[in-house]
Amino acid sequence: MLRERLIEALGSDAVKTAPEDLAVYAFDAYLDGGRPSAVTLPRSTRDVCAIVKIARDCGEPIVARGAGTGLCGGAVPKVGGVVLSFARMNRVLEFDERHRRARVQPGLVNLDLTRHAASSGLFYAPDPSSQQISSLGGNIATNAGGPHCLSYGTTVNHVLGLEVVDANGEVFTTALDDAGYDLTAAMVGSEGTLGIVTSAWLRLLALPESVRVGVAAFDDIDAASEAVSAIIAAGILPTALEMMDDVITAAVEAAFHAGYPTEAAAVLLIENAGFEEDVGASEAAIQAIVTRHGARSWRSARNQAERDVLWAGRKSAAGATGRIAPNYYTQDVCVPRSRLPQALRAVGAASRANGITVGNVFHAGDGNLHPLLMYDRRDEKQVAAVVATGNEILQTAIDLGGTISGEHGIGWEKRDAMTRIYSTDDLATMARVRDVFDPARMLNPEKIFPRGVQCAEVVPP
Amino acid sequence: MRATRERATPKSTQGVAKIVARCDRGGNKIRIAGGETLNGMGHAPERVDVTLSTVGLTGIAANERTDLVISVRAGTPIANLTSLLASQGQFVPFDAPQPQYATLGGTLAAGWLGPRRHLYGRPRDFLIGTTIVLADGTIARAGGMVVKNVAGYDMSRLYVGSFGTLGVLTQANLKTIPRPTHARLFLAPLPERTRERACTQLSALRVPPSAAFVIEGFHHAIDGDEGPEGRLLLLLEGSAALIERATLELRSALGRAGVPETRIVDAGAREAFERVVDAYVASLGERSVTYRLYPLAREAPSSASQMHGLAQSFELRGETIADLMNGDVVLRVSDLDSHAFGSKIENFDEALHAMMPAAQVVASNHPHRANLRVWGTPPAAIDRMRALKARFDPNRTLNPGCFVGGM
Repeated sequence: MLRERLIEALGSDAVKTAPEDLAVYAFDAYLDGGRPSAVTLPRSTRDVCAIVKIARDCGEPIVARGAGTGLCGGAVPKVGGVVLSFARMNRVLEFDERHRRARVQPGLVNLDLTRHAASSGLFYAPDPSSQQISSLGGNIATNAGGPHCLSYGTTVNHVLGLEVVDANGEVFTTALDDAGYDLTAAMVGSEGTLGIVTSAWLRLLALPESVRVGVAAFDDIDAASEAVSAIIAAGILPTALEMMDDVITAAVEAAFHAGYPTEAAAVLLIENAGFEEDVGASEAAIQAIVTRHGARSWRSARNQAERDVLWAGRKSAAGATGRIAPNYYTQDVCVPRSRLPQALRAVGAASRANGITVGNVFHAGDGNLHPLLMYDRRDEKQVAAVVATGNEILQTAIDLGGTISGEHGIGWEKRDAMTRIYSTDDLATMARVRDVFDPARMLNPEKIFPRGVQCAEVVPP
Repeated sequence: MRATRERATPKSTQGVAKIVARCDRGGNKIRIAGGETLNGMGHAPERVDVTLSTVGLTGIAANERTDLVISVRAGTPIANLTSLLASQGQFVPFDAPQPQYATLGGTLAAGWLGPRRHLYGRPRDFLIGTTIVLADGTIARAGGMVVKNVAGYDMSRLYVGSFGTLGVLTQANLKTIPRPTHARLFLAPLPERTRERACTQLSALRVPPSAAFVIEGFHHAIDGDEGPEGRLLLLLEGSAALIERATLELRSALGRAGVPETRIVDAGAREAFERVVDAYVASLGERSVTYRLYPLAREAPSSASQMHGLAQSFELRGETIADLMNGDVVLRVSDLDSHAFGSKIENFDEALHAMMPAAQVVASNHPHRANLRVWGTPPAAIDRMRALKARFDPNRTLNPGCFVGGM
């Protein structure tokens, strides 16, 4: 019935129900998968409306999916349902150079928007490391970050308006300057639980006239993290401030020869972009601070090619760890920036205690840690040790006044950890928003909210 | 309805919760008041039994200066917060009118948008955590004290601009940015014939000003009583070196546009800028109404001149501030005679909205306000907004009727 109706509405090439096809959409980049009842590949907003209505009639939940790069199981159909893949809705619909904005479909790959805008001297600022493959719809669903959101802000700062299909298959639109509640902000980061974004107006920025990228090398990771805290405490916000430890730089150099010093215990990758008059001064001030904190060397990239290769190495770091272990698990927590040294010491201690190799590659300037825990999925003991380590790191972040997700989202993985940072009242307040947009809990069910705080009856109406 | 209205000034979030819960149970309506600087926005409440003032909720809850984050109680005046941050070399670009009275909570709840947002971001984008009291007295927190946080829905941004109709903000956590070290103001007369060329030149500047206005009228509020009718006022901010470069660039741009003379002000540049922001809501009592419109940036000057034309056709005095960087236009219409004004304003309001449906009233204490379209045409998603209001405040206890669509 479901299959027939979907095929009738979309055509057979847009509906997949064969077991081998369904298997492809069972997983995202998280450990566990699910099992969709059907996979659909809409071509238009109208298709999306039709899919939602059919799924609703058949009692099937809807799980919207971008590129499936999410690390928290946000795109996994945990309780089955219809997966809605945006692979075929990947166009730039309007490009308004004069007002520096573009309207895009959700399946458009993040980097493709920046490529599209480059000839106009513009770029799209949020740049998650997955930007070569992750989709803007997925970025919007998770309020994705990236190295440059230290200065430019996360995805929500760059969304000007949305077209959304609701849980009944009806379309509504939001715009940042509309009077009334900021529904744009409510949608961004809601992980597909409040509506399905079918197009978005995104803000573009002018490419900076001057960019400098430098690498500071340290003999120990403590000194590097103290230098980061000191830079922020001095009131300096570089455009990006990233850290990598020697586990990561070794893997990156082996794979890409990006030019990172492998003999250092930790390196900072620091970008200053903006006006010629300012970037030099900012870089000099940062250089002085890292030197005071014991940096053994500083190297500035001499040209665009050197900058590009340093960044390519950074953004491919996670993939490069394949040389260390067959699998890695990325934890994503955020701590106050003055607590970075303690947080990193705790990450090291937890990994050692559990016998896990850890590599740190993260957005240090934001206090957003990404310890990569290396393991072999086939070894149950290692899996258990990774889970234990990840959990300890999560608790460390909470204890230091931080949060359980800086930029990857809650998804399926961290839903139960929500009670560790929010009270029942806090969560029930969020659930009121869900009650309005998805009272039947058919949009990406079993995500974000911990078991027990998902029903309207938690707060009597 | 009670004969005497009660005024409550609680000193804690718990105190707010107690009052709100009591009113909600008893069917009493609450008007939430901060510094009362934006009372001219929105509709007057349908009914007020209790005025809940937030001015007792003052002070800094946590000042993590080395993390560039701060937690502030909602009744704290913006000016106090701004000067504390300035003493630490930090700032948040609120650009609220009358900052010595405007409270943090009121500025956020009103969704106030200042002229420097194109460069530094909107107040909402600095908000990393909130404490709010819902209509049933529930105390709910969202976000935290870290600069990146995607744990759950972005409730804090949802409360910004909600006009107190979802809950009473009692505390806000903010991230801060380094305060620009230098500021310089440019003032130039801008006769009609130079206007278009000047705007074109300004939009092509390599170093964007942090604010740029074309102003007509508002002499008393901005320059004292003198000054040319049309003028350009422009604020540069940043390092000394950058401002020097921007100055050269700007001078030659204005020269090319044929702008006759430019005056530069360094000492007091920010104060002069603040006077423009104050003028956004400066009211002439029962003789004026001020509208605000958000066209696209390049359309601000033409929108402003259309508005002027319309005011003229009603024989009303029209004064405008066109924000060239963001595209806002502020229009104050007035008449020397309050009776004459009263007889025209409703028709003017109708004609303005026929031309510019989204225009909102930002300053009016006119008795006819109830008949004006103070929020402009309701937004596309108004039904969903109503549902949200109903879920958060089913008894319509908080600021009833003040918001968009009578919410």
